[in-house]
Amino acid sequence: MSATAAATEIQNTPLIGVEDLHTFYGKSHILHGISLKVGAGEVVGLLGRNGVGKSTTLKTIMGLVRPSQGRVVYQGYPITSMAPHKLARMGIAYVPEDRRIFRLLTVMENLRTGLDRGNVTDARKRELLDKVFTYFPVLAERRDQAGGTLSGGEQQMLAIARAMMLEPKIILLDEPTEGLMPRMVSQISEIIGALHREGVAILLVEQNVPLTLAASQRVYIMEKGEVRHHALASELKVGDPVIQQYLGI
Amino acid sequence: MDLLQQCFHGMSFDLFVIQTLNGIVTGMILALVASGLTLIFGIMDVVNFAHGELFMLGAYMGVLVLATTGSFWLALILATLIVGLIGAALQITTLRPLIGRDPLTTILATFGISLILQNYALWQFGPVARKIQEPYTGHFNLFYLEYPWYRLVIAGLSAAIIGGFWMFLKYGKYGIWIRATTQDRVMAQAMGIPVPWVHTAAFAIGAGMAAASGVLFGPLVGVNHIMGLDWVLKAFIVVVVGGMGNLGGSIAAAILISLLEAYASMLGCISPAQAVIVSFVVLVLTLLFRPTGLFVPTPK
Ligand SMILES: Nc1ncnc2c1ncn2[C@@H]1O[C@H](COP(=O)(O)OP(=O)(O)OP(=O)(O)O)[C@@H](O)[C@H]1O
Ligand SMILES: [Mg+2]
Repeated sequence: MSATAAATEIQNTPLIGVEDLHTFYGKSHILHGISLKVGAGEVVGLLGRNGVGKSTTLKTIMGLVRPSQGRVVYQGYPITSMAPHKLARMGIAYVPEDRRIFRLLTVMENLRTGLDRGNVTDARKRELLDKVFTYFPVLAERRDQAGGTLSGGEQQMLAIARAMMLEPKIILLDEPTEGLMPRMVSQISEIIGALHREGVAILLVEQNVPLTLAASQRVYIMEKGEVRHHALASELKVGDPVIQQYLGI
Repeated sequence: MDLLQQCFHGMSFDLFVIQTLNGIVTGMILALVASGLTLIFGIMDVVNFAHGELFMLGAYMGVLVLATTGSFWLALILATLIVGLIGAALQITTLRPLIGRDPLTTILATFGISLILQNYALWQFGPVARKIQEPYTGHFNLFYLEYPWYRLVIAGLSAAIIGGFWMFLKYGKYGIWIRATTQDRVMAQAMGIPVPWVHTAAFAIGAGMAAASGVLFGPLVGVNHIMGLDWVLKAFIVVVVGGMGNLGGSIAAAILISLLEAYASMLGCISPAQAVIVSFVVLVLTLLFRPTGLFVPTPK
């Protein structure tokens, strides 16, 4: 199946569609008409050099910055600039680049920020906790420790686990392996695989190209606030000219 | 030497015990006022200049409910709830629209609210101080003094309210929401916490706590439209000394400053009116040597 064929298939049932998004920080024009789609249960990579606007794309989807033009559609509904807390309750989870653990809250309390949602039964809460503690046993060990005392890798795990508490349909995952030791990196790529098998869609921003190509079904490559290339992950290899051209590796 | 003699003239162990008790009583009330102030500052970076007026409004509500129902306890509860609701309404109408603007705008807004409330109270209730009858008029003997039980009740109730609030923050679902929002507003939203409403709730809780302190303190001083001024000033000092937004620090600072003031007023060379200088001295020393606050752990 070619990238266009895959795109057509997703077009019929996209979970999230981003259409011609323009975003400014003050006067600087950062996103110049981004369009992309993520299908239900699909892992999509978003690659690009530093500063091309990958994080800004995720923040705009999450409602953390307002686009000046364009729209975001989720399950067929326009959600552009909706309040982030509503999006979170609708199934969009966000794991930011700098992790943003609640440093003074314990690991358990960090998880509870996503778990205490009203319509979740106690049994379901326990299931969700058991699940993340199976994926990340270290979090169970440190459940009563303040988030700020965890190591970088543990904080990343907590950030992902916390997002999972929302039972999301999609996770916006921003550079999860940044600054992690190789062992941690492979653990993160395992969890991405596990989430995929569970049917959770992921929009994955990464600098780690091999990991992204391995974890994703499709990838978009950005440059200067625009999508320049779109391909099936299986059609790309680390040494390809497009990768060299846009990512310089 | 003469000055020293004059200063320590009349000092005794009895007086020391009495002043310790007085310091703790005012300290607990002050802690109750300051807790709300520091909660509001910590969570939304709003310096609430209307906090003293919420205290005053609470005392007046207490006067009204007491006059109609005759029950001090009902007055305490209703005044807390009503002023809490008024606080919520004020937050929604004047502070929520200012989110994301220059902090100066919120200072002007809360200052405006304080002037309106003060003048409303003057217009509505007149300049003559009203009285709240204390629920207990009993005394016990403390050395040569008849010490009113009610003062101890104030200290105990304030401690209970603060303790309850602390437990709520520590264990309650909404307490976790408040703490998460205080630490990282943006991430709290991304986790599905309705941050605008958490702000409203925090403001309402702060207002309710100020009102409760107003009712509790009313019997000791009399209720008038400017009774909030002294308190809010002192509460601001406490919040800064305790470390802006740090609840435990504010409570400790409230008790420390009240104790120091109570001890200073024992000194023969300082009139009780001059003893208030102590809080300013503590403030200046804190700002000079530990500007992040006395009771916050040293940043690493
Ligand atoms: N809050 C902000 N205010 C102003 N400019 C910003 C802000 N955040 C990001 N920028 C700028 O916007 C551009 C895009 O930033 P963004 O964080 O989206 O890039 P990125 O692709 O995620 O880069 P990286 O790989 O370094 O994370 C950069 O030039 C950055 O300097
Ligand atoms: Mg980024």
